[in-house]
Amino acid sequence: MIQAKRQTGLIFFPAYDWEITPTHPERQERLLYTQDQVLEEGLLDIEGIHEFKAGLASDEDVNRVHFCVPDVTSRITHSHSISAGGCIEAARLVMEGNVERAFALVRPPGHHAMRVVHGARGFCNINIEAVMVEWVRKNYSHIKKIAIVDTDCHHGDGSQDIFWHDPNVLYISIHQDGRTLYPGTGFPDEFGGPGALGMTVNVPLPPRTSDRGFLYAIENLILPILDEFKPDLVINSAGQDNHYSDPITHMAFTAGGYARLNELLAPDICVLEGGYSIESALPYINTGIILALAGVDYSYVREPDLDPDQIREDPKALDYIEELCDALLDTWRRRDEVVSSPKEFAERQRSIYYDTDGISETQHETLRFCPDCPGVFKIDTQASSGYRVLCVHIPRGACDACRQQGHDWFDSANGRFYAAYLQDMDNDGYQINIL
Amino acid sequence: MILGIDIGGTHTDAVCVKDHVIVATAKVITGADLVDSISGVVRGLGVEQGSLKRVVLSTTLSTNAIIEKKYTATGMIVSAGPGIDPRNYFLTDDFHLIDGAVDHRGREYIPVRKDQVLEVADNLKKDGVEGVGIVSKFCVRNPTHEKQIHSLITDNFKYVSMGHRMSGTLNFPRRLHTTYFNTAVMPIQERFVRSVKQALAELGIKTSILFLKADGGTYLSSAADRLPVETILSGPAASMMGAVALRKNTHTTLVLDIGGTTTDIGILIDGVPVLEPKGISVGGLKTLVRGLKMLSVGAGGDSHVFVANGKLCVGPHRHGPPAAMGGTQPTPMDALRVLGDFEQGDLNRSREAIAGLARELGQDSKDVAKAIVTKMVDTIQKACDGFIGEVNSNPVYTIHEMLHPDVVRPEEIMVIGGPAKNLQPYIKKAFGMKCVVPEHSEVANALGAALARTTAQITLLADTQLKKLLCPELDIDMELPGRYTLNDLISFGTDALRENTTYLGLRDEIEIDVVEQQSFNMVKGFSTTGKNMRVKLQSRPGIIGLWSNK
Repeated sequence: MIQAKRQTGLIFFPAYDWEITPTHPERQERLLYTQDQVLEEGLLDIEGIHEFKAGLASDEDVNRVHFCVPDVTSRITHSHSISAGGCIEAARLVMEGNVERAFALVRPPGHHAMRVVHGARGFCNINIEAVMVEWVRKNYSHIKKIAIVDTDCHHGDGSQDIFWHDPNVLYISIHQDGRTLYPGTGFPDEFGGPGALGMTVNVPLPPRTSDRGFLYAIENLILPILDEFKPDLVINSAGQDNHYSDPITHMAFTAGGYARLNELLAPDICVLEGGYSIESALPYINTGIILALAGVDYSYVREPDLDPDQIREDPKALDYIEELCDALLDTWRRRDEVVSSPKEFAERQRSIYYDTDGISETQHETLRFCPDCPGVFKIDTQASSGYRVLCVHIPRGACDACRQQGHDWFDSANGRFYAAYLQDMDNDGYQINIL
Repeated sequence: MILGIDIGGTHTDAVCVKDHVIVATAKVITGADLVDSISGVVRGLGVEQGSLKRVVLSTTLSTNAIIEKKYTATGMIVSAGPGIDPRNYFLTDDFHLIDGAVDHRGREYIPVRKDQVLEVADNLKKDGVEGVGIVSKFCVRNPTHEKQIHSLITDNFKYVSMGHRMSGTLNFPRRLHTTYFNTAVMPIQERFVRSVKQALAELGIKTSILFLKADGGTYLSSAADRLPVETILSGPAASMMGAVALRKNTHTTLVLDIGGTTTDIGILIDGVPVLEPKGISVGGLKTLVRGLKMLSVGAGGDSHVFVANGKLCVGPHRHGPPAAMGGTQPTPMDALRVLGDFEQGDLNRSREAIAGLARELGQDSKDVAKAIVTKMVDTIQKACDGFIGEVNSNPVYTIHEMLHPDVVRPEEIMVIGGPAKNLQPYIKKAFGMKCVVPEHSEVANALGAALARTTAQITLLADTQLKKLLCPELDIDMELPGRYTLNDLISFGTDALRENTTYLGLRDEIEIDVVEQQSFNMVKGFSTTGKNMRVKLQSRPGIIGLWSNK
């Protein structure tokens, strides 16, 4: 008989009645073979591994993270509420001590969804990890510092955007180099907002990186950073598209590698993100991750067609990865030496494309760079779908001056905007003013 | 006439039913030889045996053999391929791992090696093993490996079972244990059927014998020979089927079968008992055997009542009969005796037993008696809450089910078993719900056995890309015709279930339900390559028409 070393919770929600389109990678069949493998292996019968029901995230849970334009109902379907609700349930299980670790094996994914939501990008409408993180911070005030390690093959530009100015959420993304893959971002110089430098870390790996490259980055860059950051909660955005068989990426990671990664990282919560090799990769990766989380031997878990010699990295690529990681760690350790914006207001102008829905957005963001708190910011956003709105975010622990500034911005929004929105994190408040 | 016999751990009960009237009941103490107990209870009925049309047996034979490990050495030949190391699930040194691997779609990755199989079989044979179970991972997606091994060894062993015939459900560890137990109890079942037939023949009973299964259904002894493992835990199922027979409506009914040591909790929805979704456990091991969802709690009429750390405790163990009936320890039945809710046995002995507790607690005897019954009912109620919570916590995998949950809420309680009548007012008050004790509740178990319909479940899989149609339980593995829809698969399965009644041990009274139906588009690149369809059909547990049409 097998006994798990750690009580582990699994929230499985395959959404067998939801798809973007019948032949889209994000389709009904996506987790079917994973479920087959998990059931046949008898994983849910292992002493200490438990399956739990997903829940539904409320509009309030979504509004704690996003500015949905014009509102939540227009931007998401029930599938998104359940997927985010599944993450919340996973977090609840861990926070309440029902289990030590939890895995939200849910779809649709979320890490490309940014703070402002005009539509779907990269198959994502709302950011399910971010909704979970804010739910945790609202309900468990002792959780101050959270680390998200995003191991999806694509840069999690949505998660990066949401936590860009947040000094208490460390977002680390390890992904295929943005010069070769959607969304084309996630370079080392993207390092966090002026008030949260070093709280975003990007590790772009060359195409065809396999187990040695990934595990080098985990052991020699990500684990040392986590050791120094000392998070109260570690989350793995467990995308599975780094696999050698994935049809839309170019990496060479294996199921055994993913299991080892999770053993090393020891996340409190895993959340499924991408991964579209639904027959040849997902069944084995998910089995490996569940076993690694529960502390059960996974050494016999491997793809039936695995040929390690075929997918081994070029030694030059390994040298490159080692240099990259060493340089990144050095920069991270010297993050306080980086000169921050001297001005009171830091601004950035951005164009964002919603590939799934074909919408273009332009944003003008203004942050009050504040010595006393993370700083209030506003986003003036206009989308090709027709809406121009003003979004104001008053962060957790905002000082009185920032709080006043936020309300002034919100109150002074005029008829040029369809609406103004205000997120007040300390009061868990969300206001909409239709203009 | 119909005869139902439930051979329990303590008592063997029998009922004889004519049309929809119970014409005789009998009870004997279960002896060491079950066949003797059967003969004894049948003689006790005192009915004209020649007119019996149907005899159904519910026995603890397989359950006890498994729990007490009273079976001969049984070999297992296992192929698994990558995944969790299968050796974690090996129970004895007679489990042997061989080469061979098939994936979740049923594609072969590693073939079975003939020489290796023969070598393993040779060694098992040398060790004197008579029965061998064959299991490969994902055999329910492709049974070829199991069949290859089977054809290599079948001539050398008397008893052989294959994993895919046990159940079409995915779960390799459960399949290993189910197949092992099935093979191990085959000789025991065979001997038992032979001697029961002989004993009944001596009593003038020549009709065919059916056995009760854990799912509350029956099957003919021809199928029981092949799949004896399905008879495990048929005792609690017998009582549940008795409740189905005795119910007067189709409400959502919580059924409490209160015995001497334990209370078994089950639930009927629209008059149909709820099944355990993954399979039941026996001897501490999980199996794929389809069984009723039930919970046993250590609170019964004879539960030992004592004081520990100044607190009154009821159960979970039984230390002999109630004081009123000659026992040495106080029990809830003694409390009921003192309260005037139970009329049998020696009142003075009950009073003495309860007074002893009252002295220890420094309380009035009557108050202590009330506290005992309250405590017992409270234990049962807490267990019921947990049980219903569990029934309602089954994960769902579609948005539709998530948004429209089928929440099970009991509307009434049916209490059966020895102390049912005595406890009825207390249960009614505690649960605040209608509480029924049906007539004949004391033989509900034997009645359930007598009247249970035949049942079976089959699993069908159609993969239009691989052009494959599979039904593991019926050993169907055939090529698919060109166009195929989910409805085609359902009607194929329905016909197959009807055509294979003898093989499955069914009678033609069955009602077929579609338990599961799923159809997925399979996509490669951005174009559809086929459909993956999955269907589960069952003949529903229920009561034969003769009785239910009254």
